[in-house]
Amino acid sequence: MTGPVPTEAWIVLSAALFLIGAVGVLRRRSAILVFLSVELMLNAGNLALVAFARQWADAGLITAMSGQTVVFVVLAVAAAEVAVGLGILVAIFRQRHSTDVDALSEVRL
Amino acid sequence: MIAPADIVLTPLLPFLILLVAASAALLIDVVQHRAQTGGPLALVGLTFAAVSYLVQFGGARTEPTAVFGLHWVVDVPAVALGLIVLFGAILSVLGGWTRVRRDDLDRPEYHPLLLLATAGGLVMVHAGDFVILLLGLEILSLSVYALAAWRPDRRPSQEAGMKYFLLGAFASAILVYGIALTYGATGTFDYGGVAQALLAGAGPLALAGGALIVVGLGFKVAFAPFHQWAPDVYTGAPTPVTTFMSVVVKAAAFGALLRIVATAWSGALPELEVALAVLVGATLLVGNFGALLQSGVKRLLAYSAVAHAGYLGLAVVAAAHGAFATEALIWYLAAYAAMNAGAFVVTMHVMGDDPDRGDRIEAFEGLGARRPGVAAAMTLFLLSLGGIPPLAGFVGKFLAIQAAVRVDHVALAVVAVLGAVVGLVAYLRPVFAIWFRDGRSSVPALAGPVRAAVVLAAVATVVLGLAPDLAYRWIEGSGPLALVPWTP
Repeated sequence: MTGPVPTEAWIVLSAALFLIGAVGVLRRRSAILVFLSVELMLNAGNLALVAFARQWADAGLITAMSGQTVVFVVLAVAAAEVAVGLGILVAIFRQRHSTDVDALSEVRL
Repeated sequence: MIAPADIVLTPLLPFLILLVAASAALLIDVVQHRAQTGGPLALVGLTFAAVSYLVQFGGARTEPTAVFGLHWVVDVPAVALGLIVLFGAILSVLGGWTRVRRDDLDRPEYHPLLLLATAGGLVMVHAGDFVILLLGLEILSLSVYALAAWRPDRRPSQEAGMKYFLLGAFASAILVYGIALTYGATGTFDYGGVAQALLAGAGPLALAGGALIVVGLGFKVAFAPFHQWAPDVYTGAPTPVTTFMSVVVKAAAFGALLRIVATAWSGALPELEVALAVLVGATLLVGNFGALLQSGVKRLLAYSAVAHAGYLGLAVVAAAHGAFATEALIWYLAAYAAMNAGAFVVTMHVMGDDPDRGDRIEAFEGLGARRPGVAAAMTLFLLSLGGIPPLAGFVGKFLAIQAAVRVDHVALAVVAVLGAVVGLVAYLRPVFAIWFRDGRSSVPALAGPVRAAVVLAAVATVVLGLAPDLAYRWIEGSGPLALVPWTP
Protein backbone atom coordinates (compact mmCIF):
# COMPACT_ATOMS: atom_id res chain seq x y z
CA MET A 1 0.00 0.00 0.00
CA THR A 2 1.32 3.41 -0.90
CA GLY A 3 0.49 6.98 -0.01
CA PRO A 4 -0.35 8.46 3.37
CA VAL A 5 -2.88 6.88 5.69
CA PRO A 6 -6.26 8.52 4.98
CA THR A 7 -7.75 10.86 7.59
CA GLU A 8 -10.76 8.59 8.07
CA ALA A 9 -8.53 5.80 9.35
CA TRP A 10 -6.95 8.09 11.93
CA ILE A 11 -10.36 9.29 13.06
CA VAL A 12 -11.64 5.73 13.43
CA LEU A 13 -8.57 4.92 15.53
CA SER A 14 -9.01 8.01 17.69
CA ALA A 15 -12.74 7.32 18.14
CA ALA A 16 -11.86 3.78 19.24
CA LEU A 17 -9.34 5.14 21.76
CA PHE A 18 -11.91 7.64 23.00
CA LEU A 19 -14.52 4.95 23.50
CA ILE A 20 -12.07 2.62 25.25
CA GLY A 21 -11.21 5.50 27.57
CA ALA A 22 -14.87 6.32 28.22
CA VAL A 23 -15.70 2.69 28.99
CA GLY A 24 -12.69 2.59 31.28
CA VAL A 25 -13.89 5.64 33.21
CA LEU A 26 -17.30 4.09 33.70
CA ARG A 27 -16.13 0.54 34.50
CA ARG A 28 -12.85 0.84 36.40
CA ARG A 29 -12.90 0.95 40.19
CA SER A 30 -9.44 2.24 40.96
CA ALA A 31 -9.18 6.02 40.81
CA ILE A 32 -5.74 5.71 39.21
CA LEU A 33 -7.09 3.61 36.38
CA VAL A 34 -10.09 5.92 35.93
CA PHE A 35 -7.65 8.75 35.61
CA LEU A 36 -5.54 6.77 33.15
CA SER A 37 -8.66 6.26 31.04
CA VAL A 38 -9.28 10.01 31.05
CA GLU A 39 -5.74 10.52 29.74
CA LEU A 40 -6.50 8.04 26.97
CA MET A 41 -9.56 10.11 26.01
CA LEU A 42 -7.52 13.33 25.97
CA ASN A 43 -4.92 11.74 23.72
CA ALA A 44 -7.64 10.46 21.42
CA GLY A 45 -8.59 14.10 21.05
CA ASN A 46 -4.98 14.98 20.28
CA LEU A 47 -4.76 12.31 17.62
CA ALA A 48 -7.94 13.60 15.98
CA LEU A 49 -6.62 17.17 16.08
CA VAL A 50 -3.35 16.23 14.36
CA ALA A 51 -5.12 14.15 11.72
CA PHE A 52 -7.59 16.93 10.95
CA ALA A 53 -4.79 19.51 10.87
CA ARG A 54 -3.06 17.53 8.15
CA GLN A 55 -6.31 17.17 6.23
CA TRP A 56 -6.98 20.92 6.36
CA ALA A 57 -3.39 21.72 5.43
CA ASP A 58 -3.74 19.47 2.36
CA ALA A 59 -6.94 21.34 1.56
CA GLY A 60 -4.90 24.55 1.55
CA LEU A 61 -6.45 26.16 4.59
CA ILE A 62 -4.21 28.90 5.91
CA THR A 63 -5.17 28.38 9.56
CA ALA A 64 -4.68 24.61 9.48
CA MET A 65 -1.62 24.74 11.74
CA SER A 66 -3.79 25.89 14.63
CA GLY A 67 -4.91 22.27 15.00
CA GLN A 68 -1.36 21.21 15.76
CA THR A 69 -0.73 24.05 18.19
CA VAL A 70 -3.89 23.20 20.10
CA VAL A 71 -2.41 19.76 20.75
CA PHE A 72 0.25 21.46 22.86
CA VAL A 73 -2.43 23.32 24.79
CA VAL A 74 -4.22 20.05 25.46
CA LEU A 75 -0.96 18.42 26.56
CA ALA A 76 -0.38 21.26 29.02
CA VAL A 77 -3.93 20.93 30.31
CA ALA A 78 -3.45 17.18 30.78
CA ALA A 79 -0.19 17.76 32.65
CA ALA A 80 -1.86 20.27 34.98
CA GLU A 81 -4.67 17.82 35.61
CA VAL A 82 -2.15 15.13 36.54
CA ALA A 83 -0.50 17.48 39.04
CA VAL A 84 -3.73 18.44 40.79
CA GLY A 85 -5.40 15.04 40.47
CA LEU A 86 -2.53 12.97 41.78
CA GLY A 87 -2.15 15.47 44.62
CA ILE A 88 -5.74 14.83 45.67
CA LEU A 89 -5.32 11.07 45.24
CA VAL A 90 -2.17 11.00 47.37
CA ALA A 91 -3.89 13.01 50.11
CA ILE A 92 -6.75 10.51 50.13
CA PHE A 93 -4.48 7.50 49.99
CA ARG A 94 -2.61 8.71 53.06
CA GLN A 95 -5.86 8.69 54.99
CA ARG A 96 -7.38 5.42 53.93
CA HIS A 97 -4.76 3.40 52.01
CA SER A 98 -7.10 2.72 49.11
CA THR A 99 -7.97 4.38 45.84
CA ASP A 100 -11.09 2.34 45.23
CA VAL A 101 -13.77 4.65 43.86
CA ASP A 102 -16.63 2.40 45.02
CA ALA A 103 -15.35 2.66 48.58
CA LEU A 104 -16.57 6.27 48.64
CA SER A 105 -19.30 5.19 51.00
CA GLU A 106 -20.20 8.57 52.41
CA VAL A 107 -20.92 9.86 48.96
CA ARG A 108 -24.41 8.75 47.97
CA LEU A 109 -26.14 9.10 44.66
CA MET B 1 -5.02 35.79 13.11
CA ILE B 2 -3.75 38.36 15.55
CA ALA B 3 -2.76 41.68 14.08
CA PRO B 4 -0.62 44.03 16.21
CA ALA B 5 -3.61 46.35 16.52
CA ASP B 6 -5.49 43.51 18.19
CA ILE B 7 -3.13 43.39 21.15
CA VAL B 8 -4.97 45.59 23.62
CA LEU B 9 -4.48 44.88 27.29
CA THR B 10 -7.09 47.18 28.84
CA PRO B 11 -10.03 44.77 28.30
CA LEU B 12 -7.99 42.14 30.14
CA LEU B 13 -7.60 44.38 33.18
CA PRO B 14 -10.04 42.56 35.52
CA PHE B 15 -8.34 39.27 34.73
CA LEU B 16 -4.86 40.74 35.24
CA ILE B 17 -5.85 42.36 38.53
CA LEU B 18 -6.99 39.00 39.87
CA LEU B 19 -3.73 37.37 38.82
CA VAL B 20 -1.71 40.10 40.54
CA ALA B 21 -3.77 39.78 43.72
CA ALA B 22 -3.37 35.99 43.73
CA SER B 23 0.40 36.23 43.23
CA ALA B 24 0.70 38.94 45.89
CA ALA B 25 -1.16 36.82 48.42
CA LEU B 26 1.15 33.89 47.75
CA LEU B 27 4.29 36.05 47.97
CA ILE B 28 3.24 37.72 51.20
CA ASP B 29 2.99 34.31 52.79
CA VAL B 30 6.57 33.55 51.76
CA VAL B 31 7.77 36.69 53.55
CA GLN B 32 5.55 36.35 56.58
CA HIS B 33 4.11 32.92 57.16
CA ARG B 34 0.49 32.63 58.30
CA ALA B 35 -0.08 36.36 58.02
CA GLN B 36 -3.71 35.64 57.07
CA THR B 37 -3.75 38.50 54.61
CA GLY B 38 -5.36 36.34 51.92
CA GLY B 39 -8.94 37.33 52.70
CA PRO B 40 -8.50 41.12 52.71
CA LEU B 41 -6.23 40.96 49.68
CA ALA B 42 -8.75 38.83 47.79
CA LEU B 43 -11.48 41.35 48.57
CA VAL B 44 -9.34 44.24 47.35
CA GLY B 45 -8.47 42.39 44.16
CA LEU B 46 -12.07 41.39 43.43
CA THR B 47 -13.32 44.92 44.12
CA PHE B 48 -10.75 46.51 41.82
CA ALA B 49 -11.57 44.00 39.11
CA ALA B 50 -15.27 44.83 39.49
CA VAL B 51 -14.52 48.56 39.27
CA SER B 52 -12.52 48.07 36.08
CA TYR B 53 -15.50 46.19 34.66
CA LEU B 54 -17.87 49.01 35.57
CA VAL B 55 -15.59 51.41 33.71
CA GLN B 56 -15.70 49.16 30.65
CA PHE B 57 -19.44 48.63 30.74
CA GLY B 58 -20.45 51.73 28.79
CA GLY B 59 -17.97 50.99 26.03
CA ALA B 60 -19.05 47.36 25.78
CA ARG B 61 -22.65 48.57 25.44
CA THR B 62 -22.18 51.13 22.71
CA GLU B 63 -19.31 49.51 20.90
CA PRO B 64 -18.79 45.78 21.54
CA THR B 65 -15.40 44.59 20.33
CA ALA B 66 -13.18 41.56 20.25
CA VAL B 67 -9.44 41.81 20.87
CA PHE B 68 -6.59 39.34 20.35
CA GLY B 69 -7.95 38.26 16.99
CA LEU B 70 -11.54 37.53 18.10
CA HIS B 71 -10.29 35.46 21.02
CA TRP B 72 -11.33 37.82 23.83
CA VAL B 73 -14.79 39.30 23.33
CA VAL B 74 -15.85 42.45 25.13
CA ASP B 75 -19.61 42.84 24.87
CA VAL B 76 -22.47 43.29 27.33
CA PRO B 77 -23.00 39.58 28.09
CA ALA B 78 -19.27 39.15 28.78
CA VAL B 79 -18.94 42.20 31.02
CA ALA B 80 -22.25 41.62 32.83
CA LEU B 81 -21.50 37.95 33.44
CA GLY B 82 -17.97 38.87 34.50
CA LEU B 83 -19.47 41.21 37.08
CA ILE B 84 -21.78 38.44 38.29
CA VAL B 85 -18.80 36.08 38.61
CA LEU B 86 -16.98 38.71 40.69
CA PHE B 87 -20.11 39.40 42.76
CA GLY B 88 -20.41 35.69 43.57
CA ALA B 89 -16.73 35.51 44.49
CA ILE B 90 -17.00 38.58 46.74
CA LEU B 91 -20.04 37.09 48.50
CA SER B 92 -18.25 33.80 49.10
CA VAL B 93 -15.09 35.49 50.44
CA LEU B 94 -17.09 37.76 52.76
CA GLY B 95 -19.53 35.05 53.77
CA GLY B 96 -16.79 32.56 54.56
CA TRP B 97 -14.74 35.07 56.53
CA THR B 98 -15.01 33.54 60.01
CA ARG B 99 -15.90 30.03 58.89
CA VAL B 100 -12.68 29.79 56.89
CA ARG B 101 -10.57 30.68 59.94
CA ARG B 102 -12.46 28.54 62.40
CA ASP B 103 -12.46 25.42 60.26
CA ASP B 104 -8.76 25.88 59.50
CA LEU B 105 -9.36 26.35 55.80
CA ASP B 106 -7.32 29.53 55.81
CA ARG B 107 -4.08 28.06 54.62
CA PRO B 108 -2.03 30.45 52.49
CA GLU B 109 -3.18 29.01 49.17
CA TYR B 110 -6.90 29.16 49.87
CA HIS B 111 -7.65 32.69 48.73
CA PRO B 112 -5.15 32.70 45.84
CA LEU B 113 -6.83 29.57 44.48
CA LEU B 114 -10.21 31.27 44.84
CA LEU B 115 -8.89 34.26 42.89
CA LEU B 116 -7.39 32.05 40.17
CA ALA B 117 -10.66 30.17 39.82
CA THR B 118 -12.48 33.49 39.46
CA ALA B 119 -9.96 34.57 36.83
CA GLY B 120 -10.64 31.34 34.95
CA GLY B 121 -14.35 32.12 35.10
CA LEU B 122 -13.69 35.52 33.52
CA VAL B 123 -11.74 33.86 30.69
CA MET B 124 -14.71 31.58 30.03
CA VAL B 125 -17.26 34.38 29.71
CA HIS B 126 -14.98 36.37 27.40
CA ALA B 127 -13.80 33.47 25.24
CA GLY B 128 -14.50 33.86 21.54
CA ASP B 129 -12.75 30.65 20.68
CA PHE B 130 -13.04 27.02 21.78
CA VAL B 131 -9.39 26.84 22.83
CA ILE B 132 -9.63 29.91 25.06
CA LEU B 133 -12.81 28.41 26.49
CA LEU B 134 -10.94 25.20 27.29
CA LEU B 135 -8.13 27.14 28.98
CA GLY B 136 -10.56 29.19 31.06
CA LEU B 137 -12.47 26.07 32.03
CA GLU B 138 -9.28 24.36 33.19
CA ILE B 139 -8.01 27.38 35.14
CA LEU B 140 -11.36 27.47 36.89
CA SER B 141 -11.79 23.73 37.39
CA LEU B 142 -8.29 22.82 38.55
CA SER B 143 -8.47 25.45 41.30
CA VAL B 144 -11.90 24.29 42.40
CA TYR B 145 -10.88 20.60 42.47
CA ALA B 146 -8.20 21.49 44.98
CA LEU B 147 -10.58 23.68 46.99
CA ALA B 148 -13.23 20.95 47.16
CA ALA B 149 -10.66 18.60 48.72
CA TRP B 150 -9.42 21.35 51.04
CA ARG B 151 -9.89 19.47 54.30
CA PRO B 152 -7.75 16.34 53.98
CA ASP B 153 -8.69 15.29 57.50
CA ARG B 154 -12.38 15.00 56.64
CA ARG B 155 -13.65 12.16 54.53
CA PRO B 156 -16.57 13.98 52.89
CA SER B 157 -14.25 16.72 51.68
CA GLN B 158 -11.69 14.24 50.33
CA GLU B 159 -14.35 12.30 48.55
CA ALA B 160 -15.97 15.41 47.17
CA GLY B 161 -12.59 16.48 45.80
CA MET B 162 -11.88 13.12 44.25
CA LYS B 163 -15.33 12.73 42.75
CA TYR B 164 -15.37 16.27 41.38
CA PHE B 165 -11.91 15.84 39.96
CA LEU B 166 -12.54 12.50 38.25
CA LEU B 167 -15.86 13.56 36.74
CA GLY B 168 -14.53 17.01 35.86
CA ALA B 169 -11.52 15.52 34.08
CA PHE B 170 -13.87 13.11 32.27
CA ALA B 171 -16.01 16.06 31.18
CA SER B 172 -12.96 18.01 30.00
CA ALA B 173 -11.81 15.05 27.93
CA ILE B 174 -15.25 14.83 26.31
CA LEU B 175 -15.14 18.57 25.63
CA VAL B 176 -11.67 18.27 24.06
CA TYR B 177 -12.86 15.52 21.73
CA GLY B 178 -15.92 17.57 20.83
CA ILE B 179 -13.70 20.53 20.01
CA ALA B 180 -11.45 18.27 17.90
CA LEU B 181 -14.43 17.00 15.89
CA THR B 182 -15.73 20.54 15.44
CA TYR B 183 -12.31 21.50 14.12
CA GLY B 184 -12.43 18.55 11.77
CA ALA B 185 -15.80 19.67 10.43
CA THR B 186 -15.02 23.37 10.12
CA GLY B 187 -11.24 23.83 10.05
CA THR B 188 -11.25 26.50 12.73
CA PHE B 189 -11.62 27.01 16.46
CA ASP B 190 -13.08 30.49 16.68
CA TYR B 191 -16.82 30.85 17.06
CA GLY B 192 -17.14 33.17 14.08
CA GLY B 193 -15.35 30.79 11.73
CA VAL B 194 -17.29 27.81 13.04
CA ALA B 195 -20.56 29.64 12.48
CA GLN B 196 -19.56 30.55 8.93
CA ALA B 197 -18.61 26.98 8.09
CA LEU B 198 -21.71 25.48 9.74
CA LEU B 199 -24.09 27.80 7.93
CA ALA B 200 -22.49 26.71 4.65
CA GLY B 201 -23.34 23.12 5.53
CA ALA B 202 -23.26 21.04 8.70
CA GLY B 203 -22.51 17.33 8.44
CA PRO B 204 -22.62 14.50 10.98
CA LEU B 205 -19.08 15.33 12.14
CA ALA B 206 -20.13 18.81 13.26
CA LEU B 207 -23.19 17.34 14.95
CA ALA B 208 -21.15 14.75 16.85
CA GLY B 209 -18.68 17.44 17.91
CA GLY B 210 -21.48 19.71 19.08
CA ALA B 211 -23.13 16.90 21.02
CA LEU B 212 -19.88 16.11 22.84
CA ILE B 213 -19.40 19.81 23.66
CA VAL B 214 -22.93 19.91 25.11
CA VAL B 215 -22.16 16.84 27.23
CA GLY B 216 -18.82 18.26 28.40
CA LEU B 217 -20.30 21.57 29.46
CA GLY B 218 -23.45 19.79 30.68
CA PHE B 219 -21.34 18.14 33.37
CA LYS B 220 -20.06 21.51 34.52
CA VAL B 221 -23.48 23.18 34.74
CA ALA B 222 -25.04 19.96 36.13
CA PHE B 223 -27.66 19.22 33.49
CA ALA B 224 -29.46 15.94 34.19
CA PRO B 225 -28.40 13.16 33.64
CA PHE B 226 -24.90 14.55 34.22
CA HIS B 227 -25.82 16.06 37.57
CA GLN B 228 -25.09 13.12 39.86
CA TRP B 229 -21.86 14.56 41.17
CA ALA B 230 -23.49 17.81 42.27
CA PRO B 231 -25.31 16.73 45.47
CA ASP B 232 -22.29 14.80 46.79
CA VAL B 233 -19.72 17.41 45.91
CA TYR B 234 -21.85 20.30 47.19
CA THR B 235 -22.44 18.46 50.47
CA GLY B 236 -18.92 17.15 50.93
CA ALA B 237 -16.93 20.25 50.03
CA PRO B 238 -16.37 22.85 52.78
CA THR B 239 -19.42 25.14 52.67
CA PRO B 240 -17.49 28.34 51.78
CA VAL B 241 -16.17 26.46 48.75
CA THR B 242 -19.66 25.16 47.92
CA THR B 243 -20.91 28.75 47.95
CA PHE B 244 -18.24 29.70 45.45
CA MET B 245 -18.81 26.63 43.32
CA SER B 246 -22.55 26.97 43.10
CA VAL B 247 -22.40 30.58 41.92
CA VAL B 248 -19.14 31.25 40.11
CA VAL B 249 -18.73 27.95 38.26
CA LYS B 250 -22.36 28.04 37.17
CA ALA B 251 -22.24 31.64 35.93
CA ALA B 252 -19.03 31.07 33.99
CA ALA B 253 -20.16 27.81 32.39
CA PHE B 254 -23.53 29.23 31.38
CA GLY B 255 -21.85 32.32 29.96
CA ALA B 256 -19.70 30.08 27.78
CA LEU B 257 -22.63 27.89 26.76
CA LEU B 258 -24.72 30.92 25.83
CA ARG B 259 -22.00 32.30 23.59
CA ILE B 260 -21.44 28.96 21.87
CA VAL B 261 -25.14 28.37 21.20
CA ALA B 262 -25.77 31.93 20.05
CA THR B 263 -22.66 32.69 18.00
CA ALA B 264 -20.91 29.42 17.03
CA TRP B 265 -23.90 27.22 16.26
CA SER B 266 -26.32 30.08 15.67
CA GLY B 267 -29.18 27.79 14.70
CA ALA B 268 -27.17 25.75 12.19
CA LEU B 269 -27.51 22.57 14.25
CA PRO B 270 -31.25 22.22 14.96
CA GLU B 271 -30.85 18.61 16.17
CA LEU B 272 -28.61 19.85 18.98
CA GLU B 273 -31.20 22.33 20.09
CA VAL B 274 -33.74 19.53 20.41
CA ALA B 275 -31.23 17.50 22.44
CA LEU B 276 -30.51 20.53 24.62
CA ALA B 277 -34.23 21.07 25.18
CA VAL B 278 -34.64 17.44 26.28
CA LEU B 279 -31.73 17.81 28.72
CA VAL B 280 -33.21 21.01 30.12
CA GLY B 281 -36.61 19.39 30.61
CA ALA B 282 -35.03 16.42 32.41
CA THR B 283 -32.96 18.80 34.55
CA LEU B 284 -36.04 20.75 35.61
CA LEU B 285 -37.81 17.58 36.70
CA VAL B 286 -34.83 15.89 38.39
CA GLY B 287 -33.76 19.05 40.21
CA ASN B 288 -37.15 19.99 41.58
CA PHE B 289 -38.32 16.50 42.52
CA GLY B 290 -34.88 15.69 43.92
CA ALA B 291 -35.03 18.78 46.13
CA LEU B 292 -38.32 17.54 47.52
CA LEU B 293 -36.75 14.32 48.79
CA GLN B 294 -33.78 15.75 50.68
CA SER B 295 -33.39 15.84 54.43
CA GLY B 296 -30.33 18.08 54.53
CA VAL B 297 -30.18 21.76 53.70
CA LYS B 298 -26.92 21.53 51.75
CA ARG B 299 -28.29 18.67 49.70
CA LEU B 300 -31.55 20.55 49.22
CA LEU B 301 -29.61 23.54 47.93
CA ALA B 302 -27.55 21.23 45.71
CA TYR B 303 -30.66 19.87 44.03
CA SER B 304 -31.98 23.40 43.89
CA ALA B 305 -28.81 24.33 41.99
CA VAL B 306 -29.59 21.54 39.52
CA ALA B 307 -33.15 22.82 39.12
CA HIS B 308 -31.88 26.35 38.53
CA ALA B 309 -29.55 25.00 35.86
CA GLY B 310 -32.77 23.92 34.18
CA TYR B 311 -34.28 27.40 34.26
CA LEU B 312 -31.02 28.88 33.01
CA GLY B 313 -31.07 26.22 30.31
CA LEU B 314 -34.41 27.57 29.08
CA ALA B 315 -32.66 30.80 28.19
CA VAL B 316 -29.80 28.94 26.50
CA VAL B 317 -32.21 26.88 24.38
CA ALA B 318 -33.82 30.11 23.22
CA ALA B 319 -30.51 31.87 22.65
CA ALA B 320 -29.97 30.85 19.04
CA HIS B 321 -33.24 32.34 17.82
CA GLY B 322 -34.86 34.73 20.18
CA ALA B 323 -34.02 38.14 21.39
CA PHE B 324 -34.51 38.43 25.17
CA ALA B 325 -32.78 35.09 25.83
CA THR B 326 -29.44 36.71 26.65
CA GLU B 327 -31.08 39.24 28.93
CA ALA B 328 -33.02 36.47 30.65
CA LEU B 329 -29.84 34.48 31.26
CA ILE B 330 -27.87 37.46 32.60
CA TRP B 331 -30.77 38.52 34.80
CA TYR B 332 -31.33 35.02 36.14
CA LEU B 333 -27.67 34.54 36.96
CA ALA B 334 -27.54 37.86 38.82
CA ALA B 335 -30.59 36.92 40.88
CA TYR B 336 -29.26 33.40 41.39
CA ALA B 337 -25.86 34.65 42.54
CA ALA B 338 -27.46 36.84 45.21
CA MET B 339 -30.07 34.44 46.57
CA ASN B 340 -28.06 31.23 46.33
CA ALA B 341 -24.85 32.65 47.81
CA GLY B 342 -26.98 34.21 50.55
CA ALA B 343 -28.62 30.89 51.37
CA PHE B 344 -25.29 29.07 51.50
CA VAL B 345 -23.70 31.77 53.67
CA VAL B 346 -26.50 31.52 56.25
CA THR B 347 -26.36 27.71 56.07
CA MET B 348 -22.62 27.57 56.72
CA HIS B 349 -23.02 29.60 59.90
CA VAL B 350 -26.13 27.80 61.15
CA MET B 351 -24.34 24.47 60.74
CA GLY B 352 -22.27 25.54 63.71
CA ASP B 353 -18.79 24.71 64.82
CA ASP B 354 -18.96 21.06 64.05
CA PRO B 355 -19.61 20.49 60.36
CA ASP B 356 -19.36 16.75 60.95
CA ARG B 357 -22.58 16.90 62.88
CA GLY B 358 -24.19 16.44 59.53
CA ASP B 359 -26.35 18.30 57.17
CA ARG B 360 -29.89 18.27 58.54
CA ILE B 361 -32.87 20.57 58.33
CA GLU B 362 -33.23 20.20 62.12
CA ALA B 363 -30.23 22.49 62.52
CA PHE B 364 -32.55 25.33 61.49
CA GLU B 365 -35.30 24.61 64.00
CA GLY B 366 -35.98 27.51 66.29
CA LEU B 367 -33.76 29.90 64.35
CA GLY B 368 -36.67 32.33 63.99
CA ALA B 369 -36.97 32.79 67.74
CA ARG B 370 -33.24 33.03 68.45
CA ARG B 371 -31.92 35.09 65.55
CA PRO B 372 -34.86 36.73 63.78
CA GLY B 373 -32.60 38.78 61.51
CA VAL B 374 -30.67 35.80 60.16
CA ALA B 375 -33.90 33.81 59.98
CA ALA B 376 -35.62 36.54 57.99
CA ALA B 377 -32.72 36.73 55.53
CA MET B 378 -32.70 32.95 55.06
CA THR B 379 -36.46 32.97 54.52
CA LEU B 380 -36.03 35.67 51.92
CA PHE B 381 -33.38 33.64 50.05
CA LEU B 382 -35.41 30.43 50.16
CA LEU B 383 -38.61 32.10 48.99
CA SER B 384 -36.71 33.85 46.21
CA LEU B 385 -35.15 30.52 45.15
CA GLY B 386 -38.67 29.10 45.13
CA GLY B 387 -39.83 31.90 42.86
CA ILE B 388 -42.23 33.81 45.11
CA PRO B 389 -43.04 37.30 43.81
CA PRO B 390 -41.92 40.03 44.25
CA LEU B 391 -38.41 38.65 44.88
CA ALA B 392 -35.60 38.40 42.34
CA GLY B 393 -36.05 34.68 41.71
CA PHE B 394 -39.57 35.22 40.49
CA VAL B 395 -38.54 37.81 37.90
CA GLY B 396 -35.74 35.49 36.75
CA LYS B 397 -38.07 32.55 36.29
CA PHE B 398 -40.56 34.77 34.51
CA LEU B 399 -37.94 36.06 32.04
CA ALA B 400 -36.51 32.58 31.39
CA ILE B 401 -39.91 31.00 30.77
CA GLN B 402 -40.89 33.93 28.58
CA ALA B 403 -37.71 33.47 26.51
CA ALA B 404 -38.61 29.81 25.96
CA VAL B 405 -42.20 30.62 24.99
CA ARG B 406 -41.05 33.20 22.48
CA VAL B 407 -39.22 30.52 20.51
CA ASP B 408 -42.20 28.15 20.76
CA HIS B 409 -40.85 25.81 23.40
CA VAL B 410 -44.25 25.77 25.09
CA ALA B 411 -43.95 22.21 26.40
CA LEU B 412 -40.67 23.11 28.05
CA ALA B 413 -42.27 26.18 29.61
CA VAL B 414 -45.06 24.03 31.05
CA VAL B 415 -42.50 21.64 32.57
CA ALA B 416 -40.70 24.66 34.04
CA VAL B 417 -43.85 26.01 35.67
CA LEU B 418 -44.80 22.60 37.08
CA GLY B 419 -41.26 22.12 38.34
CA ALA B 420 -41.39 25.50 40.05
CA VAL B 421 -44.51 24.47 41.96
CA VAL B 422 -42.89 21.21 43.12
CA GLY B 423 -39.68 23.03 44.00
CA LEU B 424 -41.53 25.59 46.07
CA VAL B 425 -42.76 22.86 48.42
CA ALA B 426 -39.15 21.78 48.96
CA TYR B 427 -38.06 25.31 49.88
CA LEU B 428 -40.95 25.73 52.30
CA ARG B 429 -39.73 22.87 54.50
CA PRO B 430 -36.70 24.70 55.94
CA VAL B 431 -38.80 27.89 56.18
CA PHE B 432 -41.30 25.94 58.27
CA ALA B 433 -38.49 24.56 60.44
CA ILE B 434 -37.10 28.05 61.00
CA TRP B 435 -40.33 29.66 62.17
CA PHE B 436 -42.70 26.99 63.44
CA ARG B 437 -40.52 24.48 65.24
CA ASP B 438 -38.78 24.74 68.55
CA GLY B 439 -35.23 23.62 68.53
CA ARG B 440 -31.78 24.16 69.81
CA SER B 441 -30.49 26.09 66.85
CA SER B 442 -27.63 28.05 68.35
CA VAL B 443 -26.07 30.53 66.01
CA PRO B 444 -23.45 32.90 67.35
CA ALA B 445 -23.73 36.53 66.29
CA LEU B 446 -22.45 36.93 62.76
CA ALA B 447 -19.16 38.75 62.33
CA GLY B 448 -19.09 42.02 60.41
CA PRO B 449 -17.97 40.71 57.00
CA VAL B 450 -20.43 37.82 57.15
CA ARG B 451 -23.24 40.18 58.04
CA ALA B 452 -22.18 42.38 55.13
CA ALA B 453 -22.44 39.42 52.77
CA VAL B 454 -25.89 38.46 54.02
CA VAL B 455 -27.14 42.05 53.83
CA LEU B 456 -25.64 42.54 50.38
CA ALA B 457 -27.28 39.36 49.09
CA ALA B 458 -30.62 40.17 50.73
CA VAL B 459 -30.68 43.73 49.39
CA ALA B 460 -29.84 42.49 45.90
CA THR B 461 -32.58 39.84 46.13
CA VAL B 462 -35.20 42.39 47.13
CA VAL B 463 -34.14 45.28 44.91
CA LEU B 464 -33.78 43.12 41.79
CA GLY B 465 -37.24 41.76 42.49
CA LEU B 466 -39.03 45.01 43.33
CA ALA B 467 -37.43 47.18 40.67
CA PRO B 468 -36.38 44.83 37.86
CA ASP B 469 -36.05 47.67 35.39
CA LEU B 470 -33.29 49.31 37.41
CA ALA B 471 -30.86 46.65 36.25
CA TYR B 472 -32.69 45.36 33.18
CA ARG B 473 -32.35 48.50 31.12
CA TRP B 474 -28.56 48.16 31.24
CA ILE B 475 -28.64 44.80 29.54
CA GLU B 476 -31.70 45.26 27.34
CA GLY B 477 -31.24 44.49 23.68
CA SER B 478 -27.74 43.12 24.05
CA GLY B 479 -27.05 39.78 22.43
CA PRO B 480 -23.60 38.27 22.22
CA LEU B 481 -21.42 39.99 19.65
CA ALA B 482 -21.58 38.22 16.29
CA LEU B 483 -17.99 37.43 15.41
CA VAL B 484 -16.91 37.86 11.81
CA PRO B 485 -13.70 35.96 11.12
CA TRP B 486 -10.79 37.58 9.41
CA THR B 487 -10.26 36.40 5.86
CA PRO B 488 -6.98 36.70 3.96
